[in-house]
Amino acid sequence: MPLRETPMDVRYLVEPSDCLLVTGSNGFIGAKVVENLLEYGFTNLRCFVRPSSRLGHLREVLSRFSVGKNVDVFTGDLLSSDDCRRAADGVSVIYHLAAGIEKSFAGAFMNSALATRNLIEAFLEFGRPKRFVNVSSFAVYSNLTLKRGALLDESCPLEDAPQERYDAYGFGKLKQEELVREYGDKRGLPYVILRPAAVFGPGKRDLSGRIGADTFGFFVHVGGSNLLPLTFVDNCAEAIVLAGLRPGVDREIFNVVDDELVTSSEFLRAYKTRVKPFFSVRVPYFLACGLCLLWEKYSKWSKGQLPPAFNRRRCAAEWKGNRYSNQKLRERLGWKPKVSMQPAMASFLAQFESSSNRG
Amino acid sequence: MRIAIVGCGKVADQHVQAIHRISDCRIVSVCDRELLMAKQLGQRFGVSQCFSDLQEMLGTTTPDVVHITTPPQSHFSLATKCLESGSHVYLEKPFTVTTEEAQSLIELAESRGLRMTAGHNYQFTLEMLEMRRIVNKGFLGGRPVHLESDWSYDLTDTSYVGPILASRAHWVRQLPGQLLHNILSHGIARLAEFLDDELIEIIAMAGQSPRLRSLGGEEILDELRVLIRDKNSMTALFCFSTEMKGLNQLRICGPVNSIVVDQVSGSLIRNKNRSYKSYLTYFVPPLQAAREHLRNARVNVTNFFRRRLYQDFGMKELIERFYNSIRAGGPPPIPYREIILTARIMDEIFAQIYRNRAVMSDQITKQTADYADVAN
Repeated sequence: MPLRETPMDVRYLVEPSDCLLVTGSNGFIGAKVVENLLEYGFTNLRCFVRPSSRLGHLREVLSRFSVGKNVDVFTGDLLSSDDCRRAADGVSVIYHLAAGIEKSFAGAFMNSALATRNLIEAFLEFGRPKRFVNVSSFAVYSNLTLKRGALLDESCPLEDAPQERYDAYGFGKLKQEELVREYGDKRGLPYVILRPAAVFGPGKRDLSGRIGADTFGFFVHVGGSNLLPLTFVDNCAEAIVLAGLRPGVDREIFNVVDDELVTSSEFLRAYKTRVKPFFSVRVPYFLACGLCLLWEKYSKWSKGQLPPAFNRRRCAAEWKGNRYSNQKLRERLGWKPKVSMQPAMASFLAQFESSSNRG
Repeated sequence: MRIAIVGCGKVADQHVQAIHRISDCRIVSVCDRELLMAKQLGQRFGVSQCFSDLQEMLGTTTPDVVHITTPPQSHFSLATKCLESGSHVYLEKPFTVTTEEAQSLIELAESRGLRMTAGHNYQFTLEMLEMRRIVNKGFLGGRPVHLESDWSYDLTDTSYVGPILASRAHWVRQLPGQLLHNILSHGIARLAEFLDDELIEIIAMAGQSPRLRSLGGEEILDELRVLIRDKNSMTALFCFSTEMKGLNQLRICGPVNSIVVDQVSGSLIRNKNRSYKSYLTYFVPPLQAAREHLRNARVNVTNFFRRRLYQDFGMKELIERFYNSIRAGGPPPIPYREIILTARIMDEIFAQIYRNRAVMSDQITKQTADYADVAN
């Protein structure tokens, strides 16, 4: 595998010999980050994986590099302070991608915020901290006060009522970010926060919730002509890697979103054409808003007999429709998409064809 | 009434939400060994007093009742501290790790004039309350002759079982009955309600499902069948399975009639023993069964419109009855006899299935060695 054309003499925060830790390294994005780092020529990598992880994805990536066999695959639990200490020992940069995909708020908090606290404590005590890259999410934003079609960028307000939005994942990510900023302020943690949009690519087969929902036994398409905030997995991984390497961006926050975004309808049409046709009902945003309001009111009135799974905050966040910018990412990190939208879409859709051929 | 929560994980949310449905009570403090966990719960539910030290919480906020929602290994020591400081205790299931611990806690509570209850909240769902009402009215025609309790658990979603399988140090793996220990209480408690304290026989057999094996279940058992007989010759069958899906039933057979409680659909079917002439035997009973199902649908729809069909109704009902028993000085909602009998049955099951498994493993090892000898 040829190394990235990017020369190592470009001024980076770390030396090629510095130890870099990647949590969630066997995940959909994590394995790509490891791949990118190896392409950049960083070989002193430590890949943190959970004991329950099936390591096929990561092993496949490592096998493509001659130096892959030297990569340290570290099995541990981020909720264990001891494991975090051993993992962070001598590390210069941490790419923290591990996330709590939990349905409960307590579980999401534990696996996102608590795990991050353990990792940061260990990093500050046993590492050689140059950069802590915290991978967050678009889910932390609230666009409730934004107009339809308004620009959603890094300056937009954060969700202040994740419980009302019934979004445990977003709650975990918000608390995780809070904690990282607090460590930055109080303990001088050199951090960068990345907020990727919906990450897609081969290996992820689900349709984004921003297109619609299939809760009721058929697909309700709400996204309509909204632009989908997407980032192809290779492009997202590139942004994450750069966030750990570029000097002068401490305490900055970057949205990660691709160029040439497609609309919800375009995405759904391509999916139906290339993957499988299925019945869907188009619901305009104003109607979705009204139904979500009714659901929310009933949920409150019935004291949770129906959980507030549909509510105004979620409706706005997923289906209101905004514009997105990667200007800051380009200007400050020097990022540009490795894969443009058309081949990215083709690559995403091709995974279904190859699996149906196998079947 | 002043309430405190100890242990701020996933189950604590359910407790807080159930408590919020009950009038005249207020959550005054939350506590978790990990202060951040206590704070996240406190912040979400408007509880300002958050602690990481139980003694400090008990001393500062003097709660009337403490709900303990921590892993079972800590139940005994935490509940002891709460009782010693003068608080009544709601202890999540399994009540304790062993029967001795359960007995000791109940003795301590009684000696101090305090009350305890176990988190057997499925005993208080709408259909279980209805079952109790019908049984008490004599529908069965006498005391039950035979009971069957079926409980299934779906391993398709690995978010619960994944972390358990990942680490031998996980607290569930440290329980004498491992995975079963953390799940069985509800299914056993509904048998304990009817069985006599004096049990003549318990025969338990267990194995591992192919699904769990494929997930790397190692020594963990997840398929269990138990036969129980008490001194009055009442028999009970208990079935726990991860292979069967969507099964959560209690069948109570009396000398005349029988009842089936289905806790998945929230329904209760009354089977009346009546004889019919000739072919009517084949026509009438199915129609009666259909009428029973229709009645259940009507009851559930009514309960839905009355806002009573929410997921944690059983927990709210149990908590409210527990608080009422404290206020009125009446008996606790779950008799201590049932809590201890549940613990005794569970202890015996785990002793048998893990001992049997050890014996079987020895036999397999010996057979393997014998084959190796022959091969050599």
